[in-house]
Amino acid sequence: MLRSGPGIITVALAILLWQGASLFFLPVVFPGPLTLLNRMIEIYSDPASFRVVGQTLARIFEGFLLSMIAGIAFGILMGLKRDLEIFFDSWIMVLLTVPAVCWAFLSVLWFGISDAAPLLTIVLIVFPFVVINIWEGTKARQPDLTEMAAVYRAKRPLLLRKVIIPQLMPYIFSSLRIALSLSWKIALVAEAFGAGNGVGQELINWFQDTRVDMMLAWGVSFMLVMVAIDLLIFRVWARRVFAWRPQLAA
Amino acid sequence: MPSGVRSAALRAASIAALLLLWWAGSQLMRAPDVLPGPAAIARTIASDLASTGPEGQSAYFHIGITLARIAITFAASMLVGTAVGLAMGISRTLEGALMAIIPLLLTVPTILMVFLAVMWLGFSEAGGLVAVMTVVAPYVAVNIFEGTRAIDKSLIEMGLTFRASRALLVRKVYLPQLMPYIFSAFRYAFGMTWKVVALAETFGLKYGIGYMFFFWFEQFNMRQVLAWIVIFVILMLVLEHGVFARLESRAFFWRDSAARHSPA
Amino acid sequence: MQHEPPARPPSSPAIAVRNLRKDFLAPGGDRSFTVLDSISLTVDPGEFVSIVGPSGCGKSTLLNILAGIESYEAGCVDVAGHAGKANSQPRIGYVFQTPRLLNWLTVRDNILFVLEAQRIPQPRWDERIAKYLRMVGLAGQERNYPLRLSGGMQQRVAIARALAIEPDILLMDEPFSHLDAITARKMRLDLTEILATARPTILFVTHDLAEAVFLSDRIYMMNTKPARIFKEVIVPIPRPRGPEDSKVLDLEKALVSEFFAAVETKA
Repeated sequence: MLRSGPGIITVALAILLWQGASLFFLPVVFPGPLTLLNRMIEIYSDPASFRVVGQTLARIFEGFLLSMIAGIAFGILMGLKRDLEIFFDSWIMVLLTVPAVCWAFLSVLWFGISDAAPLLTIVLIVFPFVVINIWEGTKARQPDLTEMAAVYRAKRPLLLRKVIIPQLMPYIFSSLRIALSLSWKIALVAEAFGAGNGVGQELINWFQDTRVDMMLAWGVSFMLVMVAIDLLIFRVWARRVFAWRPQLAA
Repeated sequence: MPSGVRSAALRAASIAALLLLWWAGSQLMRAPDVLPGPAAIARTIASDLASTGPEGQSAYFHIGITLARIAITFAASMLVGTAVGLAMGISRTLEGALMAIIPLLLTVPTILMVFLAVMWLGFSEAGGLVAVMTVVAPYVAVNIFEGTRAIDKSLIEMGLTFRASRALLVRKVYLPQLMPYIFSAFRYAFGMTWKVVALAETFGLKYGIGYMFFFWFEQFNMRQVLAWIVIFVILMLVLEHGVFARLESRAFFWRDSAARHSPA
Repeated sequence: MQHEPPARPPSSPAIAVRNLRKDFLAPGGDRSFTVLDSISLTVDPGEFVSIVGPSGCGKSTLLNILAGIESYEAGCVDVAGHAGKANSQPRIGYVFQTPRLLNWLTVRDNILFVLEAQRIPQPRWDERIAKYLRMVGLAGQERNYPLRLSGGMQQRVAIARALAIEPDILLMDEPFSHLDAITARKMRLDLTEILATARPTILFVTHDLAEAVFLSDRIYMMNTKPARIFKEVIVPIPRPRGPEDSKVLDLEKALVSEFFAAVETKA
């Protein structure tokens, strides 16, 4: 995206404008790019900050992993058995309709300020999303290949392993990516309400102190971390998983 | 049994099972009122609707305010997003310029947007509007933009060889192909909008369903929190499935349902 | 090397179908119509028998019934003497119209998949894979992925896959109909060579009368709506045959008008 001429110009222009505009305001209200950079350096010069980021990352990965494993299993089940699909459809709908902030509240009311509360919030939101993705993917499996496997008398485990799950890989992949992205955003909301620690807690603290500069410093730096993780894991991994295709998977 | 009846029966059983599970859970966690059962919540909702709540406003008032906010911010986001998306489709320069910053906007967590909007614009409707638009409009723009790229150029060429006017081409060839994308953006944007509105109301707006969530949460009043969540969920389900599903059957719906349900 | 078509042994046939009927439910679910009506046919061990009929007449359904993945309403179906025996299933090799390979597995792993499914002991795998890939002319292609092969080569892999399990019967459903004419002709020639070595029992389905005459020992002709067998023809031409041999072309000419008359009236 940054490869285009207009793109680079826009970004450069935007940064300049931002710096210019920030001169009219107090740094704590409207920080410019340089101020932001300074604050980030301040934050990360303190080793305690790394612990904070670590807490949030741990939460994100726990919630994400749990949601993926349960979501894939459930999604495959629903995609294979029409009865289960119809039955659980409404439950999944309800899960999806409740906004993140509500789950955050409920989790805190149930578990208090703890590690369990944000974890539950993340799972309640990411799990149904993964289920729907995988469910749709399973329903889209090629019936021809299942039929061929039936003719050659392949049993269920072999069928799942070699025929159905490989067809699910693109879906698992894309839902992995989006689920991770969802997980960290939810983690921040959940932490803001009920973790007592973590980056989300920092965000709401600085919000309540009306310190835009510190809030943005924490927010933007964490965003960069997550973007880096996304690029690292998914670019590198995609290449290996889809080697059998004539062209690379996107 | 014929499949239509079987589906209906399964669905009914599903809802019944959900209510049963809820009730069973509430029985297990009797004290200290950790999970009020369906009956208690129903009663709470009824009394909320009948009487004046805190702040001297009735439940209908809050519901109305939230719905109004959703309607306005949704319309604004769709308009701006669609306009930008179409513009990006027409101008490659604009496309290059905006595709550099839109992904950035999409990565910013909603909560940060809401906080910023509140800090800069205060606890005002403007703040809420800006928060929603910065989250939803970029998404709509990208959607519509991808729609413009998927237009079948050979059909436009065909129209030109028959000397069709610009207006005719736009009306009969361009727009119909764009409709599925506009519609899908519509549906997705709606899902995102009410979630951002809920969040904005919780943090920075006065009155509204989100405001009630937070009010009762601070009082640790589980019954009211759950009651308002149920009101919200039912409202949204009715809107999403009742209204949109009907509209949807008019336009060709090509996206899978996962795309419909957006992040908070 | 000339040899006569196999004499009919008095032993039991490899495939015996009697008065088979198959109905389908019309979409909507209220009416049913008969797809296969009173189908009777036999195939003896080592024979190559074709069923010729227009596309969509139910030939694939018949093969699916023999393969054990489709049910039927009436009649008797016996493959390799397994009918009526509980927990006993014949080994079926099936080559479909499209290769139906698992594109994410190598050629070798594709064959391995069916060997594993059929519970063939692992020590035998390598020799079978090598043997049958060589037989279809694809020796050395083990590590390749299907999408890197041409259509003809993919179909060869499908044939090798079917042969590798050393099936009781080999079912082939218009396997060359999706290939271009040049590739299809080559595949037919190669198929006859493979048969000379492996001598499986084959039931081959096609809409191409010339193809059937060239390949088969016997032909059943089928028309449609509902599908019925209306003629059985023996092909007494000794092998090896060339696709343009005068005997082959003569027989085809003799049959063609009768065949088209019978199937076109129902079109």
